[in-house]
Amino acid sequence: MMPKSNRRKLFLDTASGLGGVALACLLGEQGLLASSPNAGPAIDPERPFAARSSHFPARAKKVLMIYCSGACSQLDTFDFKPELIRRHGQPMPGAESLVTFQGGQGNLTRSPWMFRPRGQSGKMISDLVPMLGELADDMCFIHSMTGKTNTHGPGENFMSTGFTLDGFPSMGAWLTWALGTENENLPAYVAIPDPRGTPQSSVNNWGAGFLPAAFQGTDFNASQPLRNLQRPAEIDEQTDARAKAYLTQLNRRHLEQYPDDSELAARISSYELAARMQLSVPEVCDLATESATTLRQYGADDTQNPLKAAFARNCLLARRLIEHGVRFVQVFNGAYQTGGEGVSNWDGHKDLANQYSKHGPILDQPTAALIRDLKQRGLLEDTLVVWCTEFGRMPTFQAGASGRDHNPDGFTVWLAGAGVKAPFTFGATDEFGYKAVVDVVTVHDFHATILHLLGLDHRRLTYSHNGIQRRLTDVHGHVIRPILA
Amino acid sequence: MRLFARSAIRSVTQPYRGSRNRLAVCQLAERAWMLLGVMLLASATRGGEIDYQQEVLPLLQQYCVDCHGPDVAEANLRLDSVLGSLRGGDSGEAAIVPGASEQSYLITRVRHADPSKRMPPDSPPLEADEIAVLQAWIDDASAWSAAQAELAEQKVQHWAFEPLSRPQPPPGDLHPVDAFVDAKLAEVGLQRSAPANRRMLIRRLYLVMHGLPPTPEQVETFVNDREEPAWPKLIEQVLNSEHYGERWATHWLDLVRFGESTGFETNRERPHAWRYRDWVIEAFNRDKPYDQFIVEQLAGDAVGADIGTGFLVAGPHDLVKGENPELQQMQRQDELADIINTTGTAFLGLSLGCARCHNHKFDPVSQSDYYALQAVFAGVEHGDRALPPQPSTWAQLAELDEEIAQLQQQLVSFAVPPADRSPERTGTRGEATAAERLRLRPAVTAQLNTETFPPTAVRYVRFTIEAAHHGEPCIDEWEIFAGEENVALASRGAVASSSGDFVHPLHQLSQIHDGRYGNEYSWIARDPRDAWVQIELPEVHTVDAIRWGRDRTGQYRDRVANEYRIEGSLDGERWTLLATSASRLTYHPEHPINREDASAFFDFDSFPPERAAAGRKLLNQLLELSRHRDAVSQPVLAYAGTFHQPGPTHRLYRGEPSAPREIVAPGAITALTDLCLPLDAPEQERRLALARWIASAENPLTARVIVNRVWQHHFGTGLVATPSDFGVNGAAPSHPELLDWLAAELIDSGWSLKHLQRIILTSQTWQQDSRPHAAGIAQDTAARWLWRFPPRRLEAEAIRDSLLVVSGKLDTRLGGPGFSGFEVEIENVRHYFPKTSFGPEDWRRMVYMNRVRQEREAVFGVFDCPDFNQVVPQRTRSTTPLQALNLFNSGFVWQQAGFLADRLSTEAPSPRDKVIRAYELAFNRPPQPDEIDAALHFVEQTDWQQFARVLLNSNEFVLIP
Repeated sequence: MMPKSNRRKLFLDTASGLGGVALACLLGEQGLLASSPNAGPAIDPERPFAARSSHFPARAKKVLMIYCSGACSQLDTFDFKPELIRRHGQPMPGAESLVTFQGGQGNLTRSPWMFRPRGQSGKMISDLVPMLGELADDMCFIHSMTGKTNTHGPGENFMSTGFTLDGFPSMGAWLTWALGTENENLPAYVAIPDPRGTPQSSVNNWGAGFLPAAFQGTDFNASQPLRNLQRPAEIDEQTDARAKAYLTQLNRRHLEQYPDDSELAARISSYELAARMQLSVPEVCDLATESATTLRQYGADDTQNPLKAAFARNCLLARRLIEHGVRFVQVFNGAYQTGGEGVSNWDGHKDLANQYSKHGPILDQPTAALIRDLKQRGLLEDTLVVWCTEFGRMPTFQAGASGRDHNPDGFTVWLAGAGVKAPFTFGATDEFGYKAVVDVVTVHDFHATILHLLGLDHRRLTYSHNGIQRRLTDVHGHVIRPILA
Repeated sequence: MRLFARSAIRSVTQPYRGSRNRLAVCQLAERAWMLLGVMLLASATRGGEIDYQQEVLPLLQQYCVDCHGPDVAEANLRLDSVLGSLRGGDSGEAAIVPGASEQSYLITRVRHADPSKRMPPDSPPLEADEIAVLQAWIDDASAWSAAQAELAEQKVQHWAFEPLSRPQPPPGDLHPVDAFVDAKLAEVGLQRSAPANRRMLIRRLYLVMHGLPPTPEQVETFVNDREEPAWPKLIEQVLNSEHYGERWATHWLDLVRFGESTGFETNRERPHAWRYRDWVIEAFNRDKPYDQFIVEQLAGDAVGADIGTGFLVAGPHDLVKGENPELQQMQRQDELADIINTTGTAFLGLSLGCARCHNHKFDPVSQSDYYALQAVFAGVEHGDRALPPQPSTWAQLAELDEEIAQLQQQLVSFAVPPADRSPERTGTRGEATAAERLRLRPAVTAQLNTETFPPTAVRYVRFTIEAAHHGEPCIDEWEIFAGEENVALASRGAVASSSGDFVHPLHQLSQIHDGRYGNEYSWIARDPRDAWVQIELPEVHTVDAIRWGRDRTGQYRDRVANEYRIEGSLDGERWTLLATSASRLTYHPEHPINREDASAFFDFDSFPPERAAAGRKLLNQLLELSRHRDAVSQPVLAYAGTFHQPGPTHRLYRGEPSAPREIVAPGAITALTDLCLPLDAPEQERRLALARWIASAENPLTARVIVNRVWQHHFGTGLVATPSDFGVNGAAPSHPELLDWLAAELIDSGWSLKHLQRIILTSQTWQQDSRPHAAGIAQDTAARWLWRFPPRRLEAEAIRDSLLVVSGKLDTRLGGPGFSGFEVEIENVRHYFPKTSFGPEDWRRMVYMNRVRQEREAVFGVFDCPDFNQVVPQRTRSTTPLQALNLFNSGFVWQQAGFLADRLSTEAPSPRDKVIRAYELAFNRPPQPDEIDAALHFVEQTDWQQFARVLLNSNEFVLIP
C-alpha cells in the first residue's frame, strides 16, 4: 500500500505490484532491490491505463494486428515464384530427405491461383486475395520471415509472445504496459477472436504472462459481447446506480481508516472506470450506426457467406476501436482446429484448393475494406497495421495429399500505415519460396521493429521475472531499418 | 563480426600490437618466419617448453585481446591472462583443455575452415607456426596445474551461497523476530505500531492462514477469551484446520506451475493430476518436514511417496509432435528445461535456465552444470503413472483369489468328464480333467497377473514364454517386488535383455520395465513361441512377487503369454522356478472363466434341479468374483510422470540439439556441490542424489529460500524481495540476520513449516496494527521495515472462497477430483467455455477447481490468477475495471448475494439485526450506528440482495487488514 501523494511517481514492480520511487531510493541505496530493477514505465495505480510516453518519438501510436491462424501459405497469396510454376510437378531438389511436420514431400506444386501485378508498384499478388491486392501500394512486405517451430501452438505463441512456450506476455500486453492507452473508457487492448472461435493457442495470443494482469487483452467480438459488462438482467438501472453509489460510500468511509492508500483508492476508481466502460463499450460495439454503404464495403451484409459477414463485422468493430483510441487491436482470422485440418483456419494440409477457396473470401474483402477505411479516415497516419501468421507452408504438396505442410523457414508478413515504407518489399525466399535467403528476418527482428515503430527500444522494455530481465525479444532481435519510412 | 570492425579501426592507430593492416601483416609474416626459425631451434634445444610471456602472450595480444581482453571481453572471454584463458567464455566451450590442444576451443576456432567462424574474424588465418606455438602452450599440461588449482579455489562471494549460521537475536526479552525487526526500525528512526485489536487480528489470521474469514462466532469467542494464552491457542486451532493446507497449497501450486491441462494447442485435460494437488495439501496439513517434501517431489518413487513426483511434470507439455526430428529434439529440450527451471527456481531460488545456451551471466552456473542437471532429469517423461498398490489391495487380491479357488473347488463335482468336451475348448492341457483344472489358479488375464512365491534371493529373473494367444507375446510392464518395492525398474538400474524383439517403434524392450502401462509402452517378442525376456537387477534382491500384464489399461487382449515359466538365478546359470502357467487355468481372451467355458466345463442339467440350481449359483458367484477381481486389479493412476533409463546427455553448444558436445554426467551446480554420479548412474539414483543435496541442511539456499517464501505470504513481500532470485543479481535481504535465524530455526525444528508459522505468528511484528501513520508513510511507504503490518488485497481464490463462506454455501469437502469452471468442448483441441450457471458442485474451495492452462476462470481469473505455465513465486496485484465489472455484474456473485440475503432473513429477525449480522459475516465487526442507518436507508430503496451485492464488492471485504 502506498500513499496517494507519491502515486504519480510510482513504478509497477514485480515484487509488490506497486512500489515507489521513494522506496526505490530508500531500498536501492541499501541494495534491497535486484541490481537491475524493472526499468518499467511509471504507472499510476489509480490510472494504470493512462497514456505514457514512449522511449523516443514515433509516428505510430496504435496497432491493428490481423492474425491469420493456421499458417497462411505465402505461396498462394503474396510470395510469387515463377520457378514454382515452371517446375510444377517436379520434385524439389533436396526434398527427398526432407521431413516436415507431417512427414515426406510430394512434388513442387504451383498455386491454384493466378498471380497478377497489382497497383502502381505492380506487386504480384494472387487471385485468392484480389481486394487486398488492390492495396499493394500501401503495403510493406517482408518475404524472408523465419520461425523456429513447425507446430501451431508454439508457432502462435512465438508470433504473439516471442517465445514458443506458453506463459509469456503477448506483444499487446507489452505495448499497453509500456504505453497505456488514449481512451481509458475502453479496454487498452482488445483481442477480437474469429467468429468461428478462438485461435489455436487461445488466450496465450493476448495473455499478460507475468506482466500485471491489467495488461491482458480483453477478448470480445461483434457477435460475443464483453462478459459481465452489463448488470444482471433482474436489476433495473436506477437500482444499479444506487448500488454503485452505496458501494462508493462504503469504500470512502473505509478509506478513512487507511488515508491516502493508493491501492484502495485505485479500487474505488476502478468501479468508476467500469461504469464509464459500461457506456462506451456498447457504444463502440454498436454497428447499427454504420451506413449501408460501409456495411457493403466490408461485406458485412453478405447473406450468401455468413462467416464472411461475421468476420466483416469484427473488422468494422476493429476500426471503431482504433478510431476511439484503443492502443492495440488484434483481429483473428481463423480459429482452432474443428471439423478437421484446415476447415476452420489456414492449415491447408490435405485439400488446399478447396479449403483456401473458403478462407480467401472471408479474409479478403473485409480486411481490405478495413485498411481502406482506416486510410480514408486518416487513421493510418498514426496506426500501424500488421498482417501475420504463425509460419508458412511448403512449395511442395505433401506426399499423398493435395495440400502443403508447415514451413517455418520462409514466409511472408506485411505492414502498412504509420512509419513503414510503402510500397516496399523486403527480403526474399529462394526460387521456390521455401527458405528465406535474402535479408533473413526472425520473429524477434519483426517484434523489435514493431516496438521501434511505436517508439520503444526492445532492449529497454524489460520486466524482471524469476531473476531474468525478460523482453518481448528474449535476447535477440534487430530493428529492420530498411523498411522504416 | 561487428566487433571486428571496431578492432580493424583501432588497429590503424596501433600499427604493431593488434595490427591487422596489410603492411603490418607483411611485416608480421616476415617476423613469423624468423620466429619460426628461432622456435624450431628453441624447441629442439628446450624440449618443447614454451615461454608464455615471450611467445604466447604477444600472439594473444596481437590477435585476440582487442575483443577478448580487459576492454571488451566479447562473450566474457578474456585471453589476456592464463587464468582467463583457462576459465573460458560464455559459450560453455573449454577454450583451453590443458594437455589437449586438439580439444581446446581456442585451437578449433583459429583453425576453423569456415572463414565466418574462424578467429580472428575477417582476417587471414593465423600462420601454422603461430598455431603451433599456441598448441605447444596448451599441450604442456604441467604448466597449467598452478592455474587449474587457482581456478578451483575461486568461489563466488555472495551472501546466499555462504553457509548458514545462526545469528544471535539482539539482546533483550523480545520475541526474536521482533528483536531483529526493531533493531532495523531503530536504524531508520521508526517504531513498530501498536498491537492490532482482536477483531482485526483474528480476521487477518484467518485470511492469511486459511484464505477464509472467521465466522462471527469464532470472532466473539476470541474477542471474549480473557484466558491467556488466547492467541497461541487460536494459532494452534488455525494450524490444525485442514483449511490451512488448502490455502498454503495454492501458494505452492503457483510456484510449481501446477496445471490440470496440457497447455499449448490441444490443452487436453489431465484427469489424474489432482492427486498431486491433494498430496501437497496433505503435506502442509500434516506438517511434512520440508526436506522430505523436497525429496518426495524429485524422487518420491524412490522413497514410497509416488505422487510427489507430480511436481516434475506439473508444467505444460506439448502433445503435438511433428515428424521433423530436429524440432522434436527441441521440444524435448524444452520439456526438460521446464523441469530444470522449476527445480532451480522453486527450491534454490536460482534461475538455472539461463545456462541452457551459455554460462550464467551472473551466478556460478556453467553450461555444463545445466546439462548435468538435464542428465538428472533425462529419464523423466510426462504421463500418468500407476501407483504401487496399497498393501490393502494386495491383501484384497489374495483374498479374492482364495475365494475364487474355493468356488472352483465347490464346482468340481459339476464338471464334465474330459472325453465329453470338445477339444478346441480344452486348451493345451486338454488331457487334464475338469476336476483337476478347477483346482488350478485363475487363468492369466490380459490386464494384470500376480505371481507369488516364497522369498528368493535373485540377481536375474527370466520370463520364458512358451506360447501366446494370437501373435507374438506382448508385455507392457513386468514388475518384480522385494517387499513393496518394484526392483525391476530401469530407472533403478535394472537391465533388460531378450531372445529377440519385434521391431516396431511403439514396442521396445526398454519399455518392459519403464514404469509405464499400456500398449504404446510395451515390449513384443520377436518369436511367437519359446521367447524369453530377462531382467538383471542392479544387485541381489530377495523377491517374493511378480506382476505383469499385456495391457494394464485394459484395451488389448491379444498377444497374452498364456504358457510360460518364470525363473530366478543368482549367477545367470543355475535357475530356480518361481512361477509357471502350469498351475493356472487356460487363458481365455474374454474372461478367466466365461459362460461359454462354463457350458463346456459343467453339466448342471444331469443333476437334480435343486442341486443344479445350487451349482449355477456357485458359477454365477465365480463369474461375479472374477469381474470384481478385474476391477480391484485396475491400477490407480496419478499424473506423476514416468521414468526410464536415459541415454547419454551431451552439452549442447548454444543449446542447439544439432550441436552436441561432450557427454555430461548427471550432477548439480559444480560451484556448490559434487553429486559424484557416474555417467551411467541409474535414473532414479540421479534424482535422489540431487534431491538429497537440495534437501540437506548444508545447502545454503534451500532453507533461506523457503523461509523467505513463507514470510512473503505473511507480509506481502519477502525479506528478499526477489523470492526466486537469490543469485548475485537478486535483491539483498532487508533483514539478513532474521532470514538466517529463521532458516536455522526451521532446520533445527526438523524442517517443520508449522514451527516456522508459529514463530512468525507469535511475533508482535505480525500482530501489529495495519493502519498507517504519517512518520511511517514518510520514511518507508511500503513498510519494508515493518513499522506496520502491510495490508493488501486478497487473491482470487480467497475472494471467491470468502464469498461462499459469507453466503453460507461453501462446500468444505476435502480433496478428490476437482470441479470445472468451464463447459469443455471435446475435440482434438480442447475448448473451454466459461460456465454461466452455477450449482452446489461449483461451491467448493477454488483450490479444487481444475487449473486449466491459459484459460483464466471467467469471474475471478482477472484478479491476477496465473495461467499456470510459468513458475509464479508471487502474484502481481493489479486493480482493473474488468475486476470491478466481474465482481459487480457476474451471475456468480449475484447468485451468492441472493444466498446471503436469504441467510440474513433466517438468521436475523429485524432489518437492523440483519445489517449487524451482515457486517459480522462479511467484515467480522459490528456496524457503527451511522453505518446501520445508511444500510437501512439503502435497503428501503432497493432490497437485501442488492445490499449483499454491495458488501461483497466492498474494499473492506477483499482486504487483508
